[in-house]
Amino acid sequence: MSTQVKEFGSEGSNPSFFDGYTKMVLAIMIVILLAIFASGTYMSHHKMKGAGTDDIVNDLATATKVNGEHHPFVELPGDAEISAFSVANFCAGLIVGYHWLKLFGSKPQSGTKKED
Amino acid sequence: MHIEDGILPLQACAVWYGGTIAFVVPGIYEIKRRVRENPSYKPFLAMVGVAVFVISAMHLPVPVTGSCSHPCGTALAAILIGPFATAVISAIVLFFQAVFLGHGGITTIGANDISMGIVGALSGYVLWRALRAVDCPLWLAAGVAGFVGDLMTYLVTAFELAVSLHGRVPLVKEWMIFFMGYAPTQLPLAIAEAVFTSAVLAAMVGRRPDLLPQILLKKGA
Repeated sequence: MSTQVKEFGSEGSNPSFFDGYTKMVLAIMIVILLAIFASGTYMSHHKMKGAGTDDIVNDLATATKVNGEHHPFVELPGDAEISAFSVANFCAGLIVGYHWLKLFGSKPQSGTKKED
Repeated sequence: MHIEDGILPLQACAVWYGGTIAFVVPGIYEIKRRVRENPSYKPFLAMVGVAVFVISAMHLPVPVTGSCSHPCGTALAAILIGPFATAVISAIVLFFQAVFLGHGGITTIGANDISMGIVGALSGYVLWRALRAVDCPLWLAAGVAGFVGDLMTYLVTAFELAVSLHGRVPLVKEWMIFFMGYAPTQLPLAIAEAVFTSAVLAAMVGRRPDLLPQILLKKGA
């Protein structure tokens, strides 16, 4: 299978610290984080709890049951939940980024195509 | 849409598991067939699977309602890798979310997969195909698929809860009570998912149309 992305360090490659892909991903991240920050500030200002609808409806469903209780398979207290989500999403980002570049990265200039 | 353990009775969980298996088994065959046809399908599948994992765990605040919810990404996945394969990767995603993130449940993987990985994916996919068949522009067909797939996921989750828990309350009334727990927050996120689905699909088609043969059935892609 032929690769379509120039590898770092390979002949003819020009590794850039701040290339187009990085700029685009950072721009998307900043827009989403700004939206989250603005929403969070608004919600905090208006004393909204910001609870997840999944939990709200799960609680509603539990209240409907007689002697009902619900628990997630794993209880993650406090910041452990942030840790778990961070680790999972960090690794997920690496995998998505790796495959994205491999499958959808810029095509090489003529003469730089390389066989795996 | 992540129903936790202990909410649905075990009989209902078994029924939803049965429904999921009916889609997951053909999905495994679809994956095997498409891997044989195109070696790039396997890394593509991995990328889409991980993307669904992230998207469906990403809680976004919605200031209109003061609560948070997440998009699903399964309509996009169904367009990219097929609806049956999406049922398979969604089941895997839901398993990891339940085991490692405390998100959803083990006994409810069947129910959650029916809503997110099967109905959400299939409804988006069918709409996508129908709109493309009548020469609808790619961005619009993808957007509608993302929007409807997202809302259908939550509609079905509400139904799964209502059908097991409605008791003496009329089913439709209980269904709408649960759905209204989701809908006000989910509506803006469904719009965001529509934009996201369009943008990602347009980027992919621009780079590798060969990976997405079904997308280019009609002109205008």
